[in-house]
Amino acid sequence: MASTVVTDQVTLTVNGQSVTVPKGTLILDAAKKIGIDIPIFCSHPKMAPVAVCRMCLVEVEKMPKLQPACAVYVADGMVVRTTTEQVQKYQKGVLEFLLINHPLDCPICDKGGECPLQDQTYQYGPGASRFDFEKAHFDKAVPLSDKIVLDRERCILCWRCTRFSEEISGERELALIQRGVHTIIGTFNDEPAQSNYQGNWTEICPVGALTSREYRFISRPWDLDRTASICPGCSMGCNIQVDARHNRIGRFQSRENLAVDDGWLCDFGRYSFPTFQRQGFEAPRVRQDGKLVEVSFEEAIAAAADGLAQARGAVAGWASPAATNEELFLFQRLFRQRLQSPHIDHRAFRPTWPDPDPDDMTLPIADLERCDYVVVLGGQEVIDAAPVLHLRLFKSERRGVKVLKIDAEQGARAREWVPADAQAVGILATVSHKKEATDLQAALGKKVKGSVRRLLVVRGPNGRGANDLGILPNFRPGYEGLNGQSGKGRAEWGKGGIGAAYIFEASPLHAFEATEDERRWLSGLKTLVMHRFRASPLDDLAHVIIPGRAFTEKAGTVTNMEGRVQRIGRAIDADAVPDDWMVLQAIARKLGAPWDYHESSDITADLLDLIPQYAAVDRGERVLWSERT
Amino acid sequence: MGLKPVLTKDFGTEGLRQLDAYERTGGYAGYKKALSEIKPDDLVELVKKSGLRGRGGAGFPTGNKWSFLPKGMYPRYLVCNADESEPGCFKDRYLIEESPHQVLEGILIAAFAIGCNTAFIYIRGEYLPQYEALESAIEEATAAGYIGKNVLKSGFDVDVILHRGAGAYICGEETALLTSLEGYRGEPRLKPPFPAVKGLYGKPTVVNNVETVANLPHIVVNGADWFASMGTPTGKGTRVWCMSGHVNRPGNYELENGTPIRELIMEHGGGVWKNRRLKAFQPGGASMMVLLPEHLDVGLDFDAIQKAGSLAGAGAMVVMDETTCMVDAARRYVKFFHHESCGKCTPCREGTFWMSNLFDRFEFGEARPGDVDLLLDMGYNIDGRSFCPLGDASTWFPRSVIKYFRDEFEQHIAEKGCPFRKETEAAVAVA
Amino acid sequence: MSIREVLEGPLYIVRALATTFKHNARPRVTIEYPERQKVVPPRHRGRHILHRYADGLEKCVGCELCAIACPVGCIVVEAAENTPERRVSPGERYAKRYEINLLRCIYCGMCEEACPYDAITMGPRYDLADDHPDKFIAVKEDLLEPLQASLGDTARPSAAPSAQAEPRKW
Repeated sequence: MASTVVTDQVTLTVNGQSVTVPKGTLILDAAKKIGIDIPIFCSHPKMAPVAVCRMCLVEVEKMPKLQPACAVYVADGMVVRTTTEQVQKYQKGVLEFLLINHPLDCPICDKGGECPLQDQTYQYGPGASRFDFEKAHFDKAVPLSDKIVLDRERCILCWRCTRFSEEISGERELALIQRGVHTIIGTFNDEPAQSNYQGNWTEICPVGALTSREYRFISRPWDLDRTASICPGCSMGCNIQVDARHNRIGRFQSRENLAVDDGWLCDFGRYSFPTFQRQGFEAPRVRQDGKLVEVSFEEAIAAAADGLAQARGAVAGWASPAATNEELFLFQRLFRQRLQSPHIDHRAFRPTWPDPDPDDMTLPIADLERCDYVVVLGGQEVIDAAPVLHLRLFKSERRGVKVLKIDAEQGARAREWVPADAQAVGILATVSHKKEATDLQAALGKKVKGSVRRLLVVRGPNGRGANDLGILPNFRPGYEGLNGQSGKGRAEWGKGGIGAAYIFEASPLHAFEATEDERRWLSGLKTLVMHRFRASPLDDLAHVIIPGRAFTEKAGTVTNMEGRVQRIGRAIDADAVPDDWMVLQAIARKLGAPWDYHESSDITADLLDLIPQYAAVDRGERVLWSERT
Repeated sequence: MGLKPVLTKDFGTEGLRQLDAYERTGGYAGYKKALSEIKPDDLVELVKKSGLRGRGGAGFPTGNKWSFLPKGMYPRYLVCNADESEPGCFKDRYLIEESPHQVLEGILIAAFAIGCNTAFIYIRGEYLPQYEALESAIEEATAAGYIGKNVLKSGFDVDVILHRGAGAYICGEETALLTSLEGYRGEPRLKPPFPAVKGLYGKPTVVNNVETVANLPHIVVNGADWFASMGTPTGKGTRVWCMSGHVNRPGNYELENGTPIRELIMEHGGGVWKNRRLKAFQPGGASMMVLLPEHLDVGLDFDAIQKAGSLAGAGAMVVMDETTCMVDAARRYVKFFHHESCGKCTPCREGTFWMSNLFDRFEFGEARPGDVDLLLDMGYNIDGRSFCPLGDASTWFPRSVIKYFRDEFEQHIAEKGCPFRKETEAAVAVA
Repeated sequence: MSIREVLEGPLYIVRALATTFKHNARPRVTIEYPERQKVVPPRHRGRHILHRYADGLEKCVGCELCAIACPVGCIVVEAAENTPERRVSPGERYAKRYEINLLRCIYCGMCEEACPYDAITMGPRYDLADDHPDKFIAVKEDLLEPLQASLGDTARPSAAPSAQAEPRKW
């Protein structure tokens, strides 16, 4: 009996198994749903089907030819077979075709070991080739840019990279040149590629045609120690995997999180890893008679505690927005409770900063796709501050979201541009243009029917966490005010009244970056403690230098700009250098604190007691300050 | 049956390329009649009733093709496919060269029928004189008010844009043609969506062959019944056959559909040249399967030829005499497809490369036992697996040759080289 | 003890001495080690050798297939890229670091089997005793065959990408 209920679901049979999927699903995805693997090369879940590699052909009943599973949508009652003799024979045939002009130089190929062409040839391919002619030859190891090497012989022309360039980043930098068997991938006029998303080409390439120059011959995939982490490049919080070998970072790979990065990374973040590579052991140093002398960590910590205590509350504390929540939590406790100093900050130098508040992140990144209108206040400045946002914006645009990129001062234009019947409006801006963003939000809030939300791009991978945890002169953790007990912000430190400073510079990418004036007052301090991962220009002013750890060497949590609390893991061993939170704890203990943490997770637990919203960390969710919004 | 000039009736008239001469032969009467007397929908019905099938190769009924356009979706485009690149095929060139206005009139009628205001002609890049002929025809027709706003006060606006290709065989495939017309690399597109739904610039589009549209003025003037009275029940009307190869009188012959092949080759073509015997012939251009003398009595008609094991394709009759090396013939065709493969899909890109290498091996006497089966196996992996018919078609001729002339392949292997070439060389040496 | 046994006693002694003297006359199987070294069979699996092409370039490309094939994990390889200034192997890649822990090695020959370039083979050397564990880490310099000895192969295998491969002309 035919069902009269109209649904959006269709039921089909794949290899005798029945599966029900929504209308508009590809055969490939329907098969995947019940665990049937159909080999693919050109198909990519984030790109429109092209069906050029012909690897995925399957038998569909009532269709005379084999059909590409990656491009044919399911229909009710469809009968698909993926393992018949015909399909298997063809799979061997097409792999044989793909390999006739593939150099098979797997031993020297960086993809070897994680190569879909290798894997599928093993699984579906012929044992040997019957092709005994000279292969077509192309250029090998062509530098496509300063980041990417292209091997044109290995390329199987799946078009993934050109489609990425067209459909994902919208830059159209890569193109197909020539035709037939002579087709190659290249840039216009062989000019170096300039995209900021080139690293993604290497990840989507199903062969070793596009590889990273930084990773070239560094390691075989099976040698890598893989650690889940978060990109240290900006406040976007893209999920990465740190691949290391012999305690050296080999590369950052994307670890898809649809809510944040959608599976992509920008080159700024991806290729920032050499910055975090430890260059041998560095001993702590203390200034004695004007000279820096190497000492043990205990001595350096004692000297730091001593110097800071002597300033009697007139201590400025700057923590990098790249430090973990656990470290920042200890940092503000050290200052507020032990040093009795409210003068803490995490921001770059600017005469005034707008106060942060939880409303700055009411628009989750993924919701950009669900807005009707998005105003990017600041245009390229916002994209530069969080490059992967561009990919999300471009994706939204392709789905019909209207995006307006304007200068921060041109809010009036946006006010006119967004029509009154808009359902959901998003405003993106950097934190330095918060005022413009809030003004626009208020104006649009009056004009349009629907919701108007904003998302501010903050500085540093944990800039949001630093705000949440009160690394600010005028807020306690959780945006609680200080009832007139506010300290001095970074802009006021130079105006006098500060005797000592503690600069905690966890990431070279988000350093203190002292201005000339700041250098002047820093040089006049009685004690300057530099607790940093890498040599800093301020080292020559410091009285105590405590080497710290890179983010790849510690575990903890960071909060991205939309308030998502995510974990970073320890990928590299830095045994001789104590963890940053241990240094903070040791200083506090010297000053009489009873802290006794053994693991950074112990701190996380205490942090959750103070800010229950941070329980989101265990669910990979955003911190919601609902009771305050 | 037999010669039946309809399209080519007035060819040879002095100055037929000019508008006035064309009008004197009754030109543009069909267009005027259509605009003034027939409603577009009735025109579609008329063409459906006439049984006109596309002359480009696939033989799809033209009226049906038009009626697939989704209702109410505008603008729509008409594209006339004049990218005639099939080896052995030269009828479009002939039709345009002799009477560009006839083609243009057909395009205008088709545009009116489907409600298209911008028609495109995609002409093969190598056809420069034909391009110029069409260009001046468009100029004349525009001056005469056949093209432009409110044509003949009927309220119908039409514009015709002439575009030259850049020499790619693949652009004769309709979706590749559209892609090329849009300014991209000439590569076929994924179907569905079909061009009728999402064609040029994403709009509903009809792509018709030159000969197809050239039939339209005659159908409009003489009626569907007149057209249907010619030819066979499933292949109405006439076709222009391009005959080439080893015949005494190669050229274009317009014959009523269903005329036996024997008549075309032996009578009109004057038989095989140099008093040699017919070895094989190919009824549809480079892509189509070979037929043997035993098939000479097959009628020139889509279905009859298909039944005989080949396809009528674009109507190119290639005749081969007894001295032809079929392996070499196949090799040349495969080389052509290898050269013209666009590189989009794997089977065609790599398969034609490999096949071309293998055929070279036969020609130069390096073939080994098993190579014939390897060719057949490759054919299995290309035909029906490629993205577009180019890849499929690259295997049809070689496979049919293997079917009928496998012994020649074996001979190439056994004698380590081409037996025919040796004969020729010996003959030359004797002379 | 019976009389028979008493009488047969010396006979046994004579027999035993006969064996001794018989072997005295045979050629010696022992050698004056270490002054003289034993010649091993051609397929003896002794300490590894890293081979070179006739032109002196190393065969090893640093692909690490030996390392992954090694059942005891005693091989460590790190690769690097050849540059025009410093060319170590014919292709793009060479082994920057190649170490075998000979104490851990079980001399099974799997590395030799796995090598796609015939770069590593098991050699004839078996005198591997030494006085410190550190000395059993054989580095690349120890393993590489000396330059002048590399006369075994005259041509590179076709698998090594040649700089300019001529397309086949018909």
